[in-house]
Amino acid sequence: MIGDNRIVIAAAGSGKTTYLVEEACRIVDAKVLITTYTESNEAEIRQRFFDLVGHVPANVTIMTWFSFLISHGVMPFQGGVFQFPVRGMVLVQAASGIRYKNRMGIGVPWPEQDTGRHFFDPAGRVYSDKLAKLVIRCNDASGGAVVDRIARVFQHILVDEVQDLAGCDLDILAALARSRARLLMVGDPRQVTYLTHHEKRLKKYADGGIVAFLRNELPRKVHVEIDETTLNRSHRNSSVICEVSSRLYPSLSATRACECVGCRKNVGSATVLILRKDDYSHYLDRVRPMQLRDKVTSPGVDPNSPSMNFGESKGRGFDNVVVLPTEPMRLWIADPGAALKPQTRARFYVALTRARLSVAVAMDWGDGRLPEGFSLYERGAEATMAGPTGGR
Amino acid sequence: MKIAKVKITNFKCYEETFTLNFNEGLNVIVGTNESGKTTILEAVYLALTGLLHGRPLKNDLTSYLFNLSTQTKYLQSLETASPLQPPAITIELFFSGSTSELAELEGDGNSEKARCSGVVYRIEFDEDNFRGPYEELVKAGALRSIPVEYYTTTMRSFARKGITARNIPIKSALIDSSSTRMQNGSDVYVSRIIRDVLEEKERAAISQAHRKLKEAFVADPNLKLINERITHAAKISQKAVSISVDLSSQTAWESSLMTYIDLIPFQYIGKGEQCVIKTKLALSAKKNAEATAILLEEPENHLSHSRLNELIADLTQQHGQKQIIISTHSSFVANKLGLDHLIVLRGGEVVRISELKSSDFFRKLAGYDTLRLALASRAILVEGDSDELVVQRAYMDAHDGRLPIQNGTDVISVGTAFLRFLELAEALKIPVVVVTDNDGDAEAVKRKYAAYDGSPTVRVCYDPDVETGPLEVKGKPFNYNTLEPQILNANSRSVLNEVLGTSAETDDQLRLHMRANKTECALAIFGSDRKIEYPDYIKRAIAP
Repeated sequence: MIGDNRIVIAAAGSGKTTYLVEEACRIVDAKVLITTYTESNEAEIRQRFFDLVGHVPANVTIMTWFSFLISHGVMPFQGGVFQFPVRGMVLVQAASGIRYKNRMGIGVPWPEQDTGRHFFDPAGRVYSDKLAKLVIRCNDASGGAVVDRIARVFQHILVDEVQDLAGCDLDILAALARSRARLLMVGDPRQVTYLTHHEKRLKKYADGGIVAFLRNELPRKVHVEIDETTLNRSHRNSSVICEVSSRLYPSLSATRACECVGCRKNVGSATVLILRKDDYSHYLDRVRPMQLRDKVTSPGVDPNSPSMNFGESKGRGFDNVVVLPTEPMRLWIADPGAALKPQTRARFYVALTRARLSVAVAMDWGDGRLPEGFSLYERGAEATMAGPTGGR
Repeated sequence: MKIAKVKITNFKCYEETFTLNFNEGLNVIVGTNESGKTTILEAVYLALTGLLHGRPLKNDLTSYLFNLSTQTKYLQSLETASPLQPPAITIELFFSGSTSELAELEGDGNSEKARCSGVVYRIEFDEDNFRGPYEELVKAGALRSIPVEYYTTTMRSFARKGITARNIPIKSALIDSSSTRMQNGSDVYVSRIIRDVLEEKERAAISQAHRKLKEAFVADPNLKLINERITHAAKISQKAVSISVDLSSQTAWESSLMTYIDLIPFQYIGKGEQCVIKTKLALSAKKNAEATAILLEEPENHLSHSRLNELIADLTQQHGQKQIIISTHSSFVANKLGLDHLIVLRGGEVVRISELKSSDFFRKLAGYDTLRLALASRAILVEGDSDELVVQRAYMDAHDGRLPIQNGTDVISVGTAFLRFLELAEALKIPVVVVTDNDGDAEAVKRKYAAYDGSPTVRVCYDPDVETGPLEVKGKPFNYNTLEPQILNANSRSVLNEVLGTSAETDDQLRLHMRANKTECALAIFGSDRKIEYPDYIKRAIAP
């Protein structure tokens, strides 16, 4: 039997994690795995269980994608590929397993056949960027025993922030989709803020191409339902913020603000502002927003007020946010046709969608007409944006 | 969910890897003393629970757990240029079944690299922590035993994940004659059995009740009064002195509650009754999620014949889905439980009666003789009762009047089933001697036993010369080549006349008399004060 697989495309602030945790709690007579890419999100999922039901149910296992790949992907059936023990994983930022640099300064990697050096560092830790590839190798060498076992251990596999998976991770997802297990994935293709893989495999589906991947690469009989409605309403953002931020991804269906009373009670006149440099410190002083920046060294950040990198803020929500845009982001505001690199686009999207009450983009603006949905911050207007900044 | 197989390496009497497959239901391991029966039960229980003699082995490692010859080889190698690695004890359990819990334990992390569900329990050198100290120790060259202080125990699933006994869905009850007590005196095993019988909910309920009991005790007004008095009287310091119960969460209810049988604490009832009750409790576990393996050591030890019968009836009728592994050296128990389930163990060799070519034969035969052979250290196989008596007497005459059994040699009459018994003996490597007539065709006898030519354990003794003569019985030629005429050949008529109390006047008369009264003659020879001479092939058979 092929499981009832589904991917839910979620809007920022739509309650992805809560949705997954509620789905998991509904399953009582089978084993559930919840996995996600980052450790912080894993902790968030665990916390959400305690918030909702007071404990993590006995049939639910929460682990990061990497732990899952090591303990269920590699170790059970590594025997057909290599014999030495796996001593954990090493996070790598650049191409790993480099044998030597050639005259042009380009790293030449150990060949794949040299399993011990291609996939592992000298301490016996597997390189993070090659872990998924190693899992595929173990699965192939054992005649599919790896995936078959996983499907019998976990009847339900829930993946949060699925847009973070790329490269061979996608092959593993595809194999799980073909297995007896039921695969439920939740993610926002707009929020691919980390580049986690350096390999060329399935590169065209990096940067949020998960839906396209599922459509194009799975055989017809493996059905994955693509659900773009369940989680397309933001409980955090106002309709103006939804409208402006959705403009970054015109090809995806626009997100909408949830209209229920509970979500809207604090939002008087949620706004998207342009904040002139001259008004910056005045605004910080009056509204006390969270400053979102590209990196620690970004210019214009007030070191005495709280601040956070774009990527770091993913999954978080604040009442008021001020965004310190990079040059390409500024150009995009003036002209939505301007080119943005996929990661820049994703980070900008994340930054704009953190706010519950107001989001301000710090940049000077000439006399021209403001883009649709934006208004210019004027001193004295902050009175309408009640409430201190709080984070969650 | 069953234990399909156990593999033991370097543990106690097992040096080379010892492999034993189990049946789904009943398994009866038969063997003499010191054949390694108990070691198998201990190994299975250890790999399932991490316990040996009721205590976590982790804290009780000794070099005596290791196979002696393994240890000797290792220590000797340290003196040479190519020292061996510190030896490790490995116990592998292979499980069969297809639940989600078993899938979790599945992988190829086993010695066979097989895709299977199971656990590996290892007692091994702790390389991560003690590489340095070990190097120094070896350099110092003073090693007289395996350095177990640098050893650790690990329990891993075949998926190479470190696990605890809780992760194994097969629970086990070890029922042996030892009595391992908890601190409060209650029997460790019965407490475990009771705990394993309970559902998770019931355990939580008991745990709650136990907590309440302790809290109620502490809250009692009398206790408060007493504590005030103690504090007053004790005047040791400014601080309060009080008595209370141990409220720490570590004290689990299992270790502080006692099991009673008719108001008598469990450990005070008879040993036999203890054994029966433990078995019945273990048989009564009804949980679906977990399977139970019952390990029963030599149930015959403390039980009367009738209680033993009852227990065996329970075991055979009620075991249901449970797997039972019994060790025994009682041929009664083994026979009652059925030869189909029999695993005969001998010097590391394993034979299942059900796998022998002659299994049909042994199944139909009342099992006593089969087991006699299996349990004997040496055996002489003869055809009938008369041969048995004569061989016994011949043996006594040659061995200062000691019966063969007193020297560990069993004389078994097997009728015409020599080859079937030889199959069993060969499989178990039991030294056996076959004593047989040549029945007038020595070549045929040679052909019959050709398969055992040059066998290190099987000797076939028969008279190579065929004798013929004119005597006829009822129109057919008399067979001069059976035991009785051969005895006559070895002795004189007068000697035999004296021993048998006959007065035959010719050899032929005596031949006919002996032919017609085989057993009486044999009895007479066996009981006679006078020693006689024996045919050459008998002498060869009883020679050491």
